[in-house]
Amino acid sequence: MAAGFKTAEPLEYHRSFLKENCRPDGRELSEFRTTTLNIGSISTADGSALVKMGNTTIICGIKAELANPTAEAPGKGYIVPNVDLPPLCSSRFRPGPPGEQAQAASQFIADVIESSEVIKTEDLCIDRGKLCWVLYCDIMCLDYDGNILDACIIALLAALKNTQLAEVVVNKETSVPEVDLEKRQRLHIHKHPVGASFCVFDDSILIVDPTAEEESLSTAHLTVVTDEEDRLCSVHKPGGTPLSGEKLQECINRATTRQREIHKLIDKVLDSVKTSQ
Amino acid sequence: MPTDTKRVRGPDVSQSPFLFWSRPAEVLPSHEPRADGRQRDQVDVRPVFVRCGLVSQAKGSAYIEAGNTKVLCCVYGPRETERKDETDMKSGRLTTDMRFAPFSCPERGSWIQGSQDKDFSLMLQESLQPAVCLHRYPRSQIEVNVMVLENSGSILAHAVTCASMALADAGIEMYDLVLGCSLRQDGGSYVVDPTYPEENSWRSGSREKRGGLTVAFLPSLNQVSGLQSDGEMAEETLTAGIRTCIEGCYKLYPVIQQALIKAVRRAAPPAAES
Amino acid sequence: MATVQVSEAEKVYILHGIRDDLRVDGRSCEDYRHMEVETDVVSNTDGSAKVTLGHTAVLVGVKAEIGKPKPMIPNEGYLEFFVDCSANATPEFEGRGGEELGTELSNTLYKVFNNQHSLDLRSLCISPGEHCWVLYVDVLLLQCDGNLYDAISVAIKAALFNTKIPRVHISSDDGGGKEIELSDDPYDRMRLDVENVPCIVTLCKIGHRQVVDATLQEKACSVASLIISVTHKGIITCTRKVGRGSLDPESICEMTEAGKRVGKALHSPLMKLLQQEESLGKKRQKVGFLG
Repeated sequence: MAAGFKTAEPLEYHRSFLKENCRPDGRELSEFRTTTLNIGSISTADGSALVKMGNTTIICGIKAELANPTAEAPGKGYIVPNVDLPPLCSSRFRPGPPGEQAQAASQFIADVIESSEVIKTEDLCIDRGKLCWVLYCDIMCLDYDGNILDACIIALLAALKNTQLAEVVVNKETSVPEVDLEKRQRLHIHKHPVGASFCVFDDSILIVDPTAEEESLSTAHLTVVTDEEDRLCSVHKPGGTPLSGEKLQECINRATTRQREIHKLIDKVLDSVKTSQ
Repeated sequence: MPTDTKRVRGPDVSQSPFLFWSRPAEVLPSHEPRADGRQRDQVDVRPVFVRCGLVSQAKGSAYIEAGNTKVLCCVYGPRETERKDETDMKSGRLTTDMRFAPFSCPERGSWIQGSQDKDFSLMLQESLQPAVCLHRYPRSQIEVNVMVLENSGSILAHAVTCASMALADAGIEMYDLVLGCSLRQDGGSYVVDPTYPEENSWRSGSREKRGGLTVAFLPSLNQVSGLQSDGEMAEETLTAGIRTCIEGCYKLYPVIQQALIKAVRRAAPPAAES
Repeated sequence: MATVQVSEAEKVYILHGIRDDLRVDGRSCEDYRHMEVETDVVSNTDGSAKVTLGHTAVLVGVKAEIGKPKPMIPNEGYLEFFVDCSANATPEFEGRGGEELGTELSNTLYKVFNNQHSLDLRSLCISPGEHCWVLYVDVLLLQCDGNLYDAISVAIKAALFNTKIPRVHISSDDGGGKEIELSDDPYDRMRLDVENVPCIVTLCKIGHRQVVDATLQEKACSVASLIISVTHKGIITCTRKVGRGSLDPESICEMTEAGKRVGKALHSPLMKLLQQEESLGKKRQKVGFLG
């Protein structure tokens, strides 16, 4: 009976739960799904992390390569983040070049990296004007059940914290770089941006960490990214119904507590990885 | 080089640090024990970790881990076929898509699917098709998506095993499971289920009589559904290699069966109300 | 792939014939159809060959260009394959119809031919890490009447035999940089050693037997074939199962054995023919496409 109601009238089905201040999966309105992290599981990557938020699964692998810096910014390296939503993760995505959603997600992640200064591109410079690191941050969705932006940021941050760059010395005479892959150094992570996503139901009810179904039924989306100093790195609200300033403040407050939880989680997992080695 | 406007672009050229590593790659000796402690000339496959039904959105899914090789496969469908021009509508279509994550190999790969990926997709399709009862799905297509998260050798073999598990998990009617096994011939000796360094070591050192072989096998029907080999092999070595690979598949069989039974139990617990 | 419709009665007829080692066109199971090979057919390539096998016709052109070696293998040149499925061959190739088959063929050809076992790729290197010869092998399918792989592989071997690459010298200029100099003598050209270049034998499993060089009708009766590339020494360099069916392990052994036997026998007449044609030089009467 309940299953039939759910398929026939999904919106009413959700509304009847929201009236009671809870959600079909048993969560409260401002409750995130259980978030689990697995760091450093891909040995072919220089840094990697797998994040699961409920069913949503995101993997991020970082590959470092050597390149010439641009003439405009001789003392800077590159960070190239890309989000891919392959047909594997949900039946809504088709094979081929990235769709609108994947493009928007890639751009969002790139903006977060730039505005939050999670790492400084100056740190990636090896030889000014001649050689620098390129960090290819490839983020891939393996199971799409809503709220991929939050999961992408966590995966990226955890993978960056896991990344170790090889030592490079540029030979003075031949100006050929010499790499020692056995001597590696961690990246310096300046800030820890973490996102929190919200959905607006019926123009008024705010829910946090929406599932794919909740996302498709809601009237507006909002993603707030904050760092450990409670500064706003990004507020992303693509269209949808308007939101009052009060509600936005509520979202920001929720995002700052989320930032602390995730920051703690990443550190805990990294510690357990270190001690097990 | 066409520019990719749909992704965040990096510099035009970048090189892997491996190219500048001053230390030359070690030559793997062809007679000493293998780096991971397994035996040469024996059907010594890596222990596998398999799990079904991990991806909530897919009809069926499977994940396999053998050593560092990590492969995820999702199955969608059967759904209405996209191609209407097919003359033969009486049987269904099996489409396969095999991709490598950009970070899955020592060298970074591109997001754009290369011809090698297409070739793998095709071999996967040819290996799986004999096992699927496609005549039971007229006018529909079944999609198999494979994502290689980490490539540490024998990738096609594990992709085949993983995909057949995902098909079974999706409840697609099949004649049999399909299991894959690879072998690397190296002069007079061979290694089963080779790792990535073992697969690529032939570039250095002598290159006499070296070759690779991948077999896809239907264990209860005793049929070979996929066969692919390269390198240089005498006919006797090739047929002996095929037999060794089949033996390797039989070693894998109970593990895969157990995983499927476990997945079914989880989906429909024996004590569930009917 | 070009396909024909075959009725059940025809299938039974073909099947029974093959059981008794007699095929519809009078051949036995391990016989090829009539094959014609002609080299040097396209003047603006560095090497070319045209092969007809029954009604299957393929044209192969080889162009040598100077390129950069692949970063992981700095001291070797390489081959690139492109298979063009012309709509002339069969109406099914119109538009993008032939693309899938084209990639399948070129990927397999790459595996069969682009390795040290088949060609001495090191001889294609000009200066390690900087310059090497890249051989662009373009295959054009003119007509499809079954057994494409075998016809293409023979044509590639003939075209590679025919290929003449200009000799180059590397001289260092005053600044210490390197310069590539082309030899002045237009006849001073490098030839490739094609002795080890394999030929592909496709074996179609029909009933309990396997046939070589299947026609389209015969192919329609089989569910699985095995592609085997064999060198003149009888060494197997590449195998691949194609088609939608599966094979018994025992029959695979039989098929590889038959493939080795047939493939080995294919090389010496081919080489003899090529050398004979070469020795005729300019006196040779060109047959061309309509001949």
